[in-house]
Amino acid sequence: MKRQFGKWCAWAMILGGLYMAPRVLGVFELNVLLGTAIFALFSLSLNLLLSFTGLLSFGHAMFFAAGAYGTVLVLTRLSGFPLLPLIGIGAAAAIGLALLLSPLLVRVSGHAFAMLTMAFSQIMYATVMKLSHITGGNDGISGFAIPSVSIPVVGVVDMALEQNFYYFAISILGLSAWVMWFFTRTPFGSIMVGIRDNPERVTYLGFSVPLSKAIILCVSAGFAGVAGSIYALFQNMVSVDGVLGPLSSFSPLINCFIGGLGTFIGPIFGTGIGTILLELMSAHPEQAQLVFSLVLIAIVLFLPGGVIMLYWKANTRWMAVRQNIQNRFFKRRIYE
Amino acid sequence: MNAIAVMLITQAVHGLAYGMLLFLVASGFTLIFGMMGILNIAHASFFMLAAYVAFQIMAWSGNFWLALLLAPLAIAFLGILMERVMLRRIRRFKLGKALVLFELMLTVGIMVCIEEAVKNIWGTDPQIINAPDALRGLIPCFGMTYPAYRLFIIGLACSILILLSIVLFKTRLGNIVRAAVQDAEMTVALGINVPLVFTFVFGLGTWLAGVAGVAAGPLLTVFPGLANQMLLDSFIVVALGGFGSLMGAFIISMFLGELTAFGVQFFPGYSTIILFGFMAFVLTFRPLGLFGERE
Amino acid sequence: MNDQHEPADHILTTRGLNHYFGERQVLTDIQLEIQRGTRHAIIGPNGAGKTTLFNTITGKYKPKSGRIFFKGKDVTGFKPDKLARMGLGRSFQINSTFAGLSTFQNLRMAILARRKIRFNFFRFLDKIKSVTTETDAFLRRIGLAAERNLPAGLLSYGKHRCLELSLAMAVDPELVLLDEPAAGMSREETHKMVELIRELTQGKSVIIIEHDMDVVFSLADRITVLHHGEILATGSPSEIKSNQEVKDAYLGEAEVGNAA
Repeated sequence: MKRQFGKWCAWAMILGGLYMAPRVLGVFELNVLLGTAIFALFSLSLNLLLSFTGLLSFGHAMFFAAGAYGTVLVLTRLSGFPLLPLIGIGAAAAIGLALLLSPLLVRVSGHAFAMLTMAFSQIMYATVMKLSHITGGNDGISGFAIPSVSIPVVGVVDMALEQNFYYFAISILGLSAWVMWFFTRTPFGSIMVGIRDNPERVTYLGFSVPLSKAIILCVSAGFAGVAGSIYALFQNMVSVDGVLGPLSSFSPLINCFIGGLGTFIGPIFGTGIGTILLELMSAHPEQAQLVFSLVLIAIVLFLPGGVIMLYWKANTRWMAVRQNIQNRFFKRRIYE
Repeated sequence: MNAIAVMLITQAVHGLAYGMLLFLVASGFTLIFGMMGILNIAHASFFMLAAYVAFQIMAWSGNFWLALLLAPLAIAFLGILMERVMLRRIRRFKLGKALVLFELMLTVGIMVCIEEAVKNIWGTDPQIINAPDALRGLIPCFGMTYPAYRLFIIGLACSILILLSIVLFKTRLGNIVRAAVQDAEMTVALGINVPLVFTFVFGLGTWLAGVAGVAAGPLLTVFPGLANQMLLDSFIVVALGGFGSLMGAFIISMFLGELTAFGVQFFPGYSTIILFGFMAFVLTFRPLGLFGERE
Repeated sequence: MNDQHEPADHILTTRGLNHYFGERQVLTDIQLEIQRGTRHAIIGPNGAGKTTLFNTITGKYKPKSGRIFFKGKDVTGFKPDKLARMGLGRSFQINSTFAGLSTFQNLRMAILARRKIRFNFFRFLDKIKSVTTETDAFLRRIGLAAERNLPAGLLSYGKHRCLELSLAMAVDPELVLLDEPAAGMSREETHKMVELIRELTQGKSVIIIEHDMDVVFSLADRITVLHHGEILATGSPSEIKSNQEVKDAYLGEAEVGNAA
């Protein structure tokens, strides 16, 4: 009962905080917050593969990029396309890519999966560069206007306003994160974890491992696409190095590891810590990545459970202390 | 001799030189993977770091040969440190299946760390290492002239290849290493100190990458992005050549070197797509034959 | 031969199965007929090809030649998951559970398979009460209720073995293949295991590989002796015990004395 209450309080605080953010924060801080949220969703979608299926992808940025390019290409070529379906197109582009690759990807795991995804993202990089008359190549596409949204009761909402776009983006991101969390809690989610632990046994229980993996891949890719789509709108540009550069696939992985493997919310913590680090290092931006990589190495070596383990450890220690106090003061009274 | 033939032969020598460098890097990569099951993403970063260390030694002493001797040793020392201090530590965590993920991520961290450290110390501008005077200029041979430095690289790589073959195929140590590549557990059962052999192989692999890095210095421009290209190319070599297979690595390296040399002229831009596409198919359909996931 | 109808009382029939590992022939002309509702033991020395036979029947290996009929249907070349959905279960010689998940979660996976809940993305698993109750009921039945929330990897060997068997049985297969269920167990544990097998496999068809002759003779209705990948003899336990060829090849020494 008490725990339920605490949980609701936490939720109310988070939602209230996100709602109040545009009123409290300046434009710069708001943009940092939204950027963090976008990458948190990207990391969460990667974590679906990493923590729940045990597949390490070195090329997840291709789905992010598919979402970004899908949205931007449709937006710049078809005028008058509404905003929400644009995000849907981003997701659909990423899912389409995942469907295309899944016949190959579901057959492998471990190192082979990592190398294969890396190969595919390299192919995508080369393809985007090759099709520079469509994609803009290195320069990318920029300077497009975000379409307004008309809501029946409220009226037309101008998305060029930071505050409005923030509310729009944060609700899509939050909803996506919730759907993903729900996904891990469904019967299929438990099969997903089974595949991570023992694919052979899952097969002999009568579940099709390749088909399940393909579904997980599509779901993960779809949400990466949503993140990419919002990222492109938020940045108001998409370029090959921005969404497919050398670190684009690695940084969400790093976020997952820093946050903590095997949990759902770990990547959110990891992304948050990454943002805080970057802001702390803002006076020396050229050393930021160096510090980031050192943090990653330190985490892997000394805290393999990630930052979230600190919370767990502190929690268990607190429980132990409380137990101890109870033992000392209450049990003794009973015996005396 | 007509101009086209000259052009083709020159191009072939270019390709051969790059292929040899690639082989030096990829052989260490494939040995480490075959033996320890570790895909060392940071391997190509050691190659790049070696070029910078050589640059620094050259800046201090001006002696290329000193750099060729010392820089690879420094790199091998770093490699051994990485194996003994870091990789060994996480092997002790009993992570089970997740060990692969942590090992990969650790090497990713080291890769990023090396790249950023290099950027911070030497900057992002390309640096130039000059070849020693003896190796500058052209050497006439069979009615043509070849750049001396490229011939030197080919000679250097060939002698290392021969040395490596002798160590691996003719000595007791080589037998142990090859046995451990085949089946590490069995080798432990035979009472051999496998961890020590692991360290040796890791040191050897990074030393080879170091030699390649120094040798590549005067040939390619030295800049932080060097690691990326080498990493992707050695990925292809390991995937296509087969894990732990030196012969496979050699053949694919030569092939890739020539393809890079000629591909630039005949199908610019598409060679990456074709290569990675091919690699993807090999990885998918023969992951056990060419790869062998460890149980 | 393909459209030959198998007798309805045979749940599984194999016709002339051959399998090779490279050049080496590991299964030679295997003819098996498993009666519906019986427990059929397969015995034979190590390396006789028993586990390979299991892997072939369950679809992990595709036989080089020969056909497999399950419930009268030709299932040669079917994948393991498809066969499992048709009602063919198996357990493993080496414990193969979900070591990181709790006993309850392990068994729940099998219960999901039993209730054919496969691609359900729309409900909270915890909110599907019937699955939870059924899993808990099964846990009580196999005596692991106290270990409900313990990760399977931390169970004692005997209990882990019991979970291994239960994972196969909880799916409610029509035919189950048990690969040395009592391997590595003490006398007492073996005894418990036999009782558990007896209880869980009631009314089902079972093929069991076992080295422990006590287990074999107390459970099996029929016995097949496998030797160097070939069937040496098939018959009732008493027939096998008195078969001279079998004695020479395999039983020979102390074991048959113990059992007799």
